[in-house]
This record gives sequence, C-alpha cells and structure tokens, in this order.
Amino acid sequence: MSEAAETHESGIRHPGAATYLIIAAFLIVLTVMEITVFYVHPLRPVLVPVLLVLGAAKFALVAMFYMHLKYDGWLLTAVFGFPLLIAMVIIAALLMLFAYLAHHALPIG
Amino acid sequence: MAAQPKPIPMHQPSYLEGGGILSWLTTIDHKRVAVMYGASALIFMAAGGIEAMAIRVQLWHPDNHALSAATYNAFFTMHGTTMVFLVVMPLLLGFLGNFLIPLQIGARDVAFPRLNALSFWLALVAGILLHLGAIRGGLPDAGWFGYANLTERYFSPGLGVDWWVIGLLVSGTSTVLTGLNFLTTIITMRAPGMTYMRMPMFIWSLMVTSVLILIAFPALTIGLIFLLFDRFFDTHFYVASAGATPILWQHLFWLFGHPEVYIMALPGFGIISEVLPTHARKPLFGYPMMAYSMVLIAFLSYGVWGHHMFATGMGPVADSAFAITSMLIAIPTGVKIFSWIATVWGGSLRMTTALYFALGMLLEFTLGGLSGIMHAAAPIDLQQTDSYFVVAHFHYVLFGGVMFAIMAGLYYWWPKITGRMLGETLGKWQFWLTVIGFNTTFFPMHFLGMWGMPRRTYTYAADMGWTHLNQLETIGAFVLAVAFLLFYINILGSLASRDPASGDPWDGRSLEWSIASPPPAYNFATIPQVRGRDAWWILKYGRAGSRGVAAYMSGQAPQNPQADLPVAPIHMPAPSIFPLVLSLGVGTMGLGLIIDWYRIILIGAAVMILSVIGMGFEYPDFGEQSHDPEHAPSSGGIDLRKIGVWSFIGSECVFFASLISTFIVYKSRSIGGPGAEVLNIPLTSFSTFILLMSSLLMVLALAATQRGDRLWERIWLGGTAAFGLIFLAGQVYEFTSFYREGMGLTTNLFSQSFFVLVGFHGAHVAIGVLWLSVLLAAAMMGKLGKSRALSVELAGLYWHFVDVVWIVIFTLVYLMQAVSGA
Repeated sequence: MSEAAETHESGIRHPGAATYLIIAAFLIVLTVMEITVFYVHPLRPVLVPVLLVLGAAKFALVAMFYMHLKYDGWLLTAVFGFPLLIAMVIIAALLMLFAYLAHHALPIG
Repeated sequence: MAAQPKPIPMHQPSYLEGGGILSWLTTIDHKRVAVMYGASALIFMAAGGIEAMAIRVQLWHPDNHALSAATYNAFFTMHGTTMVFLVVMPLLLGFLGNFLIPLQIGARDVAFPRLNALSFWLALVAGILLHLGAIRGGLPDAGWFGYANLTERYFSPGLGVDWWVIGLLVSGTSTVLTGLNFLTTIITMRAPGMTYMRMPMFIWSLMVTSVLILIAFPALTIGLIFLLFDRFFDTHFYVASAGATPILWQHLFWLFGHPEVYIMALPGFGIISEVLPTHARKPLFGYPMMAYSMVLIAFLSYGVWGHHMFATGMGPVADSAFAITSMLIAIPTGVKIFSWIATVWGGSLRMTTALYFALGMLLEFTLGGLSGIMHAAAPIDLQQTDSYFVVAHFHYVLFGGVMFAIMAGLYYWWPKITGRMLGETLGKWQFWLTVIGFNTTFFPMHFLGMWGMPRRTYTYAADMGWTHLNQLETIGAFVLAVAFLLFYINILGSLASRDPASGDPWDGRSLEWSIASPPPAYNFATIPQVRGRDAWWILKYGRAGSRGVAAYMSGQAPQNPQADLPVAPIHMPAPSIFPLVLSLGVGTMGLGLIIDWYRIILIGAAVMILSVIGMGFEYPDFGEQSHDPEHAPSSGGIDLRKIGVWSFIGSECVFFASLISTFIVYKSRSIGGPGAEVLNIPLTSFSTFILLMSSLLMVLALAATQRGDRLWERIWLGGTAAFGLIFLAGQVYEFTSFYREGMGLTTNLFSQSFFVLVGFHGAHVAIGVLWLSVLLAAAMMGKLGKSRALSVELAGLYWHFVDVVWIVIFTLVYLMQAVSGA
C-alpha cells in the first residue's frame, strides 16, 4: 500500500493513504468529542454551537480531502458549494419562519 | 480575416433522414430528441389551449353552467399544470435547448445522450400520467399549485390528485436529469476558444437555468413525496389536526415555484438576446452585464418565494425581507430590457415575424414586470392576492414574456430545425392577432381583480358588474385561439412545402448557422475554432463587421467553411431502446401505485431495474476516461461524468435540506406519542463510526485503483460495501425496535418526519452498496484497474456525500434531540 500521493489521469494530484488515515483520525476524534459533549451535562448550554462547529468540521474534512475538493479546482467547488449555500439558507429561513409561526399563530377555533 | 470560401456540399444527409419508427424510438441524437419534445409539447399546447377556452366560455356570462364546477376545477388545474410542465418547459428546454446547445457551443451532442433520451421519455410518460385521470378516477382538480390540505385524501378523495402527484414526480425527475445534462454539456463540451464570456446569450441563459433546475426542483420533489405519503401511507404532513401545518407545502412549493418562473423566463430572455442582434445586425449591447444580470436574477430568485405567501402571515420582518428581495430582482431585469432596447437602437432592422414577436415580448413582459413590482409590496399584494389581478400579472409574464419569446425562437430557428421556412405573411397575421387577443383577454383582468373578482371562481352573480369585461376577455381568448390556429396551419404548411431553407437564412451570428439546415447527424464536420463572441459572424466576416455586412448585402458573402464533409469517419453514440423501456417501467410503477394493483408495480419495477442493468452493459467503455480531446481547452480537463455526479450531489443538498428542515420544524409540533427521547445514541454513534470508516476505505480503494493495485482495490471496495451493509443493518435494527416500542410511520409528526428523513438516507446508502457491489464484481473479473479509476472515483463521490449527509443527520437529529424544533 503506497503512501505517496496519487496523480490522477487528468493531471490532478490526489493525496495518498497517509493523508487519508490522518483525516480518518481527525474524524474519529471529532466524533468522540461530539458524543462527549452530548453526554456531559455541564456543556448543555453550549451544546448547539459546539455540535454545529464539530459537525461542520467533519463535513468540511470529508468534502475537502475524501471528495478531493481541495485538489480538484474551483469549478467543482462551485458546483457543490452554491447548492450547499442555498440549502443552508433554506434550512435557516424555514426554521425562522416556522418559529415565528409557532409563536404568533392564531388559536384554532 | 474572413474565412476562405468553400463550396457547400449539396447532399449532406440530415439528421431527419433515414430509419423508420424504430430509429426514432431508440434515438439518442439530441436533435431528434428535441423534435420529439417539440411535437409532444405542441400537442399538449393544443390541449391546454382548449382547456383555457373552456374556462373562458364558462365565464362568458353570470351564473353560467356550461361546465360543471368539478370540470371547471379540473380544467383550470390541468391548464396551469399542462402549460408549465408539459408545454413551456419542454418547448424551451426540451425542444429549443436540446436542439441548440450542442449546435451553439460547437459540439456533436449533449454530454449524456442516453440520459437525454430518458428525460424525454420520462417527460412524455409524465404527461400521459397527468391526463390518464380523464379515463379513470378524474383529472387533477386542486390547482396547479396543489395547495395543502385541499390535496389531502379527505378533501380530494378521487384519483385526480394521485395522478397529479405521480405525474409531477416523474416530470420533475425528467427535468432534473435535463438540467444536469445541460449544465455538464455547457461546462465541458464547448468548442475550443469558446470561453464563458464568448458563449451565445441563449447558452448563458440555459446554463443558469440548469443550475436553477438542479436547486429548485428538489424542494417540489420533497413536497410531493410528503403528499404521496399522506395520500398512500396515511401520514399527516399537511394535516393541521395532527399538529402539522399546511403552510409547509406552500413553502416547499414556492421554494420551487418562484425559481420556476425564472426557469421559464431566463431561456426566453436568451432567445430574445439571440433574435434581436441578428435582426438588428448589431452585437448584443452590454453582453457582460446581460450575463451577470442573468446570474443575479437566478441568485435572487431563491430569496423571493415568500412574496407568494404574504397573506399567510409570515410576520413583518419576513414580509419586509421578501419584499426587498422581490423589488431587487427588478434591477437586473431592467438591465436586460434596456440592453435589448440599446441593441435594436440604430440597427438595420429586418422586420421578420421573429423580430415582431421579440419586440412584442419587450412591451408585454415589461407590463408584467410592472405589475410584479406591485406584488412585491406586501400591503398592495394583500389586496391583490387570489384576485384576477394576479391572473393578469402572471399571464403578462408567462404569455407576454415567455410565450412571445418562444414564438420568436420558433420562427427564428424553425428553418434550422426543419430545413423549411415558416410563412412570413401568416406569421405576421398570427403576431397581430396574438397581440390583440392577448391584451384583450388579460389586460381587463387587472380591473376585474381590483374590483374583487377572485381567481379560480366557477361563476359570478350578475350584479357584481363583472359581466362586460368577462365577455370582452372571452372574445379576446377566441381571437388568441385563431392566432394559434394560424400557427399550427403555418407549421403544417411549412412541413409540406418543398422550398428548402438555406443554412444561414437570417445572416446569423452563432455557430448553428454555420452548418446546413437541417443539420447532419454529426452537426459539425470539424469542431469549429472560436475566436470571439458571435463566433459564426467572425468566421464569416472577420472582426471588421461592417465590411462583412457590405459584402453580404452585395451578394458576395463567403461560403460556409464548416459545411464540408468530414475528412474522417465520425463516431456517434449508438441508439438505445433502454431509455424508452426504463420510462415505461417507471410509468407502469406509477400506474400500479395509483390503481392500487401491486403486481403492476412489481412488473414496472422489474422492467425499470432490468433497463438500468441493460444500460450498464450496453456501454462497454464504462469508466474509461472518455473526455473528447477536441473539447479539452474549454472544460478544464475535468471529465464530464464527474461534473454530472457533482451536479447531482449539489441537487441532493437541497433535497436533504428540505427533509431536515421539516424534521426540525415538526419534532416540536408533534402531538402525543414518543419523541426524540427514543433515539438510540450508542447505536447510532457506532453506525456513525462505521460510515466514517467506510469513507476511509472508499478513498483507499480509489488510491489502490489509481496505482493499479488490484488486490487492495478489491479488499477496500469489499470493505466499503461491507461497512455500508453493517450501517444498514443497524438502521433496520433501529427501525424495528421503534416499531416494537409502538413508534410507527404514522404515529405522530416526529415519527413520520424521522422515518422519511432517515429512511431516505438509508435508501441512498443501499443504492451506494449496490453501486459498490457492481464495482467489486467488475474488480473481481479484472475489469477495473487504473484506466477505469474514474468509475471508482464517481462511486466514491456519491458514497462520501451519503457520509456527509449522515454527519449532518447525526448532529441535528440525534445529538440535538433535546433541542426544541422551530
């Protein structure tokens, strides 16, 4: 099993096994941290921001290194990044809109 | 420097020549697929037109009962659904887009020809499913927007809404495949030298539209899936008594619905941007601003959906935000209008029917835009909501804007498509009758709306004072019908005529005019070299355009340098029956689901699966680097299949975002029964580790394949698939334990939104495992290897995406279980 970086046929250089293993180690550590945060009650007040940061870090690591966005150029990042941005905006907007609805809805009947 | 004249060969076989019906059923040639799209859309347009006429007859006088109320409901529902999904989009994208993208960018076909054929057949199946209610169970009758909870089984007990749901799901799948195909084609297959800023504006419009499609349609798909679950599996996604809110449907629908307006409008803008410069013999004014405006319109279009929902009470902050974004969109649109005016200003206008319609579009669309700005103001919109004012507005946009543009495009490109000219005299009669009929029909609706006439009303009382204007509108509608009749007569006459059109009848500017009319199957004998915008114009006349025009006017225009016969055989993709058969399988499944006959569903599923397998085996070069070296300079060296998979993944982001949003909203609205406390964190933590490690194995498999290490390639691929199976087993265990504890799909809002979200993710994992299994089998047979590393990379991209979705689900659904929803 070679640890050298692999050169793709299109000339794009992808990382080798060593990098992949390091990323996997990071993913494991981050997941352990997430689960720990979940079970440690004193951390409950900061649960949401901490989990969001840890989740985003895992997401970014997989996208950048395993999906090779870090190496494959801006075009693929744009093809993925723009819909991802819209998706995040949709989630945030719907949550805010329904939060307003929940607090201001007229009682039925 | 002008190109050297070359003789035009007289007998290039066109794409229309040769083969019988079977050759059309199995074709994957983008031009033939386009023609089939066009033919079916024109048939559906006649059906939608007849429905519109029936609506106008019903409204001719007060208390009329020419139609029953149920039939009236079905007709306005089918009119809207047909015109949007089966006429306007197929004409713009399926017909003109399909035909012209390869021709305008200098390519021989689209990126995925079989997928293109599949898109058409799925679209046709969707159109048939939408109309099958006329034979069994009734036509859909809940409006083209299908507002919940009118669409629930309780309020719409017939099969009409079932046909609508299944038909639109199939139609949406077809459209997403088209968007993916077009985007990949435009990114990767442009002729050498055709940079983004040299693309024809029609291509810009279709590229931006493709992005819109990929991001907008998943929201509709999710909305329809929820409705399908409500109607077929007794869930309560839109049932208020279960704690749900029908407003969810409106958000999901308009998240799709407003970008959809631009999915229809932007290609229309692109058409106008082609017709005007050619007919004014001037370059398009403000090309960069036109392109940037299109991008800005597309971006803003995702932030304006709420202006369809001011009346639902979203609150002052949301109303203000949506009002501002809706008004902002007028700026880039205004840039386009002024650029078009500046394009024709001072031009040497050739007054053809195409130009008439293009100029007509400028006026009519501007009127629609002005009333649109009124809707952007929430207080005014509240007065106009659900009134005929809205009907007037969107017909000025979609008919005055889009249909006028379609007519301009049809008259402009018809000679290229058929090799025959459309009659100019009939065309101008059609134009004037259209202008008179259209404005007579729709302008009075502004007044009726302001006077209080509600849209979708079946009839009205005599003392409302609406009679005369309704009668005027009905007369206008009949004038419009005569105009369309002339159009059909014109196209039939054109097809029957023997007068051939030249390759370049309008002295065109883009590459499609450089080849014969109709084009040969291979499009270009040699792939053109593009040296600037208006590529064909520069090839004809050089950059000194005025001298070139003078030469044209004196009859000394140069001959076509691209029209010579190919110097070497051109390999075109072989026809395939599988797109048709696969679509029939999908249609059969839909039919079986609606008529509740499970054997039919199984037959459809079997046909579909066998077709997919067949498609896999009929393409022996699967996984090879197939990049066409002729197009390399414009594509950045990225394989088109990689762009295709990434586009699909981008679209999936919105799909899962809609599911995740719904889960978070509904988990705190759930009434009774278990909630998030039942979620098993230890089990899913283990599953999360498994899925993360499967991603590691996947990249190791790719690395092994790329260096030609066949042993480790098999080991890592097998390991990835095995970890995927372990994850799925964990999910099955989790689901069955929930069922044992009394939490089923329909228990409450929490359970249904949880099962649908996590279940869809599990389905994606299952598809990934199947994909990996096929790769593993190929590896075991020695058919993978270094030269086919791309096939492993593509599967890997999909697999990692499934992984990152799980990262989000694990965080938001499981670890934040104690956090209340919206």
